[in-house]
Amino acid sequence: MKRYFLRKILIYLLTFFLAVTIDWLIPRFMPGDPIRNMLTRVSVSSNATAIQMMYDYYSHLFGLDLPVWQQYFNFWKSLLQGDLGISTYLFPTPVTKVLARAVPYDVFLLVPSILLSWYAGNKFGAFAARSKKLDNTLSPLGYILNATPYMWLGILLAWFFGIVLGIFPIAGAYSFSLQPNLSLKFIGSVLHHWFLPFASIFLVEFGGQAIGMRNMIIYELEADYSHYLGTLGAPKKLIRKYAFRNAILPQITGLALKLGVIVAGALVTEVVFSYPGIGYLLLAAIQNQDYFLIQGCFLFIIIGVLIANFTIDIIYILIDPRTRMGMTGETA
Amino acid sequence: MRKNALFLLSVLIIAGVVLAACQPAAETTSEPAISDDASMASETTAEETVPTEFPRNETIYVSGAAWGPASTWNPFQPGSLANTTGTIGFVYEFLYAFDPQTGELTPWLAESGTWADDTTFDVTLRSGLTWTDGEPLTAEDVAFTFELGKQYAALWFSPMWEYVESVTALSDTEVEFKLSSDPLYQEFENNLYNVPIVPKHLWENMSEEDITVGVNENPIGSGAYKYLTNSEDRNIWVRSEEWWGNDVFGVPAPKYIVDIRTSSNNVALGMVLKGEIDLSNNFLPGVAEMADKGYVKTYYAEAPYMLSANTAVLFLNTTLKPLDDAAFRRALAFAIDVPSIVNVAYAQLVKAASPSGLLPVLDKYVDQDVMAELGYYFDTAQAKQMLADAGYVDIDGDGFVETPDGEKIELQVTCPSGWTDWMAAIDIIASSAQAAGINLKSAYPDYGAWNTELQGGTFNMTLNNWASMSNTPWTLYNLLFRHPIQDQMQSGNFGRYDNPEIFNLVDALARIPMSDEEGMKEACSAIQTAMLTDMPMIPLWYNGLWAQYSTSTWTNWPDENSASPTLPTTWSGYWQLGGLQTLINLELVGE
Amino acid sequence: MKVLKNKNEILFFAFRNWKLQIGVLIILLFIFIALIGPSLAEFEPFQYANALGPVPPSSEFWLGTTFFGQDVFSQFVHGLRATFTVGIIGGGIGTLLGLIIGFIAGYKGGVIDEILNALTNIVLVIPTMAVLLIIAAYLQVRTVFIECIFIGLTSWPWTARAIRAQTFSLRTRDFVDLAKLTGVKSLRIIFSEIAPNMMSYLLLIFILQFGGAILTAATLDFIGLGPTNAISLGLMMQYSVLWGALQFGMWWWFVPPGLAITIIVGALYSMNVGLDEVFNPKLRGM
Repeated sequence: MKRYFLRKILIYLLTFFLAVTIDWLIPRFMPGDPIRNMLTRVSVSSNATAIQMMYDYYSHLFGLDLPVWQQYFNFWKSLLQGDLGISTYLFPTPVTKVLARAVPYDVFLLVPSILLSWYAGNKFGAFAARSKKLDNTLSPLGYILNATPYMWLGILLAWFFGIVLGIFPIAGAYSFSLQPNLSLKFIGSVLHHWFLPFASIFLVEFGGQAIGMRNMIIYELEADYSHYLGTLGAPKKLIRKYAFRNAILPQITGLALKLGVIVAGALVTEVVFSYPGIGYLLLAAIQNQDYFLIQGCFLFIIIGVLIANFTIDIIYILIDPRTRMGMTGETA
Repeated sequence: MRKNALFLLSVLIIAGVVLAACQPAAETTSEPAISDDASMASETTAEETVPTEFPRNETIYVSGAAWGPASTWNPFQPGSLANTTGTIGFVYEFLYAFDPQTGELTPWLAESGTWADDTTFDVTLRSGLTWTDGEPLTAEDVAFTFELGKQYAALWFSPMWEYVESVTALSDTEVEFKLSSDPLYQEFENNLYNVPIVPKHLWENMSEEDITVGVNENPIGSGAYKYLTNSEDRNIWVRSEEWWGNDVFGVPAPKYIVDIRTSSNNVALGMVLKGEIDLSNNFLPGVAEMADKGYVKTYYAEAPYMLSANTAVLFLNTTLKPLDDAAFRRALAFAIDVPSIVNVAYAQLVKAASPSGLLPVLDKYVDQDVMAELGYYFDTAQAKQMLADAGYVDIDGDGFVETPDGEKIELQVTCPSGWTDWMAAIDIIASSAQAAGINLKSAYPDYGAWNTELQGGTFNMTLNNWASMSNTPWTLYNLLFRHPIQDQMQSGNFGRYDNPEIFNLVDALARIPMSDEEGMKEACSAIQTAMLTDMPMIPLWYNGLWAQYSTSTWTNWPDENSASPTLPTTWSGYWQLGGLQTLINLELVGE
Repeated sequence: MKVLKNKNEILFFAFRNWKLQIGVLIILLFIFIALIGPSLAEFEPFQYANALGPVPPSSEFWLGTTFFGQDVFSQFVHGLRATFTVGIIGGGIGTLLGLIIGFIAGYKGGVIDEILNALTNIVLVIPTMAVLLIIAAYLQVRTVFIECIFIGLTSWPWTARAIRAQTFSLRTRDFVDLAKLTGVKSLRIIFSEIAPNMMSYLLLIFILQFGGAILTAATLDFIGLGPTNAISLGLMMQYSVLWGALQFGMWWWFVPPGLAITIIVGALYSMNVGLDEVFNPKLRGM
């Protein structure tokens, strides 16, 4: 158990280290010069000496005039202090401030959709696995939903509910006529704008979970212990209950594997609905060659996924008694 | 487990909503990043309370100016132009306003201005001008503002000090501009309506950093509107009841202006159709049809529906082969299918440009004889003939011509990815050039990469439209023929066209006083002749002043019958061109 | 665990399995459209065919025209080709990489296994979309082929994991030990004993990779990081949204591409489940 934990933690630390290094590396090899880009936003002076002066000033400010290894070192130093630099696209707003504005929306969008779709999808999949008839009618729904590209579902929902029926808004996080406060009207507006993006992520994930669960349940129902219980005369309900419990486990680890895909899905959904989350911010940062903002977004996504993975691992350990009994290493 | 999951879920949802509710409110009180001198400027005498909901009949929703979250309110930075339109024009004002339809400067902060002699310009300010914190706006502020350009080379108008000797406040309302013996009159007059006047009592203690690149949160100006609040997708301004112009020009009708940042044009389209946006300055595809059906209103009831705002010019990188050959460039000009760009890419929302590049309002400076002789128009056969005459033939039979030396030609025309109308336009440019035998392909790099190529001169051909409505043709030619040629060209002549003769002509134009119309016409004629003979860049069409309005809440919008100056625009740098007047003229529907 | 029956039994069940049948039929249908379609199309995808701009489907324009009057049907069939190309090549690269890495890890074991496993886990955790975004943004000019390569390079981890698990279990089987005892060389063991047992598994994996590559490519295209100068189903969706197809109700422009992707990938998933049942008799029971 202890070895298992230590091993896991080591892998996560290694992953974190590598991911941060990649995070630091990648934006630096992007074509174009971000300082120069920013200078055109900040000053239209045609005076060559003035331009050079400002260029040097900003290079120094952003630390780009130091040798590469020192930049790397400084990056780690500021990272551990919680300083992610200053955005060039939104100069002079610090990156952490920009991220802080966008993070709540992502959390608000992702967490409910992931949890709800996992819960509902698994129930649905287990239900569909009860009989062949149910399976043949309900499972195709799962395939189709899971095969739907996130943005296409978003587009369909936006078109049908937002434009044809006109009952949901299709842009922004809350109404442009309201200011944030804790009134019922504001909360209502937030939920009103949140619903369609949430629905498009939820539905696709729902399908995926349903199919996965259905497969696992069938598999478990065909396992020896299920047959054994059946021959002993146990009621079907009991067998299904045990099968469900065993099937849940791979679903949990499966969730961890899917997190990357879900994040991608949230990104395109944000684009379709102009929802001001991190994915959308990352896209804007790339288009404007804002190194520091790209790093910040990327880092946040990686850390989020790592934490989620770690949490899932812990939940897995708590739920699966076999791991507690000393099974170490990776199970095949 | 079920109950726990549900409980956890509801907690998370509530937490998310509370987070969303709390964090934007922190915007208005956060500390600026660079220094805390700027926070001294945030002392306001009248504290505006932010309402939780904006009354529909007091609010106007606009879009199309902000494309990112607001990052600065410094009037000397173009950044403030891009994302916080209104800093210039609403908060900070100018000595003069410019009416692009008549081409005249009208006094704004100034009451009058006269040339005492060839090198002295006297300005008399209006009496009773105040800043929104109660302090009076005097000639001292004007002199102080202009002198900032002398102190700090990083400010955009500092080059004017090459020919300005002094700016002195003779009294509370008298300002004297003393120019040297050979001033650039054109630039000077241009600056009169472009340099925002800032308060001396607040800015004199700011550091160089703050003045040139500071955020200037909670800006204090003299203008019609004040900063209220903002979040990442909206900027909100509130009307200043103490504005001096209320008595002179009229009270702007909307109390609140909510400037919405739309992530893309099609979102704005939906909102305008629903009446959620009153004035949209986005380029909205299909607007022609919408206007015809009466869903939105535009300036003109028929094609081109929009006023012309600036000229889209195709810049050619003259340092590359075969773009260094004037004959090739001229042939290219005849190959480009501008009619298709106008009719297909823009669905008739724009007009083809005059080969001189000047906007219709400056028509009087276009030498029609030169146009008739050297002007270009779409004619593929002619283009092919000109290519052949210049020695460009298709040697290897692939359908594309090679250089007279036999080298293959492979060119690329670019525009930023996502600028859908330009993307469609360069597609047409590429295909029509191919039809004439020139191997030209279109590409859409991301904005950052495109911008770097533009200023670094590593592109082949690209579009640019930075020369907008102006009181003088000099601004266009200054953009096209900017000199000297430097490593990075930030504000013009991106194709690095090096022709000392034309440079001299442009400089000579700059020195002609605005009152000498004949002199200006002569100078322009010379420039146009040289430009069309050599064709270093090709003006193609006039980009529209995209403006469509919804008449669900406000009416009396500008149209072709309105008395000028009214421009239906929220774009930065345009408020003092008639945008403010539009707001003053608005009426509520039903009143 | 997968048990290999003889070929005839496999085919027998394959032809009875409706999930497999429907899936294969649909895929074949779309492949047919992708192959024949472009010759049926009167216009080029980017040609301004209709001077009147956007029109709904009619006898002249089977799927209507875009905002610019381009033929949607033509764009659709050409885009279908690009989509299939990405699916096959991108999915193929991902499968191949995963196969090699997973197999080596599983067969060799020991230190090599640890290293490869750690590598797999790391790449698995990093959200591929973010990496793809950045890489795609580097490249000034992007082609369909380059898109395939990058999708393949980032989608192999889960395949590697699955293959590794399979290899582990197969490696310790009796017949492998027997082969070793009789002195058969390692390479021969791999090819003649282990590989056939993996084939079925590989097929299932490839199908999933194929579908995943299509979805990833569509997502990239939609954001605007797809191939320049080409047409694909994702790009069609992007253009339709950008040019106000939603607001103007030009459903014929954005419904067909997304629907096609949904049906194709759905068919692939159906094939996957069907094949699973064919290869694994235990699943047929219900």
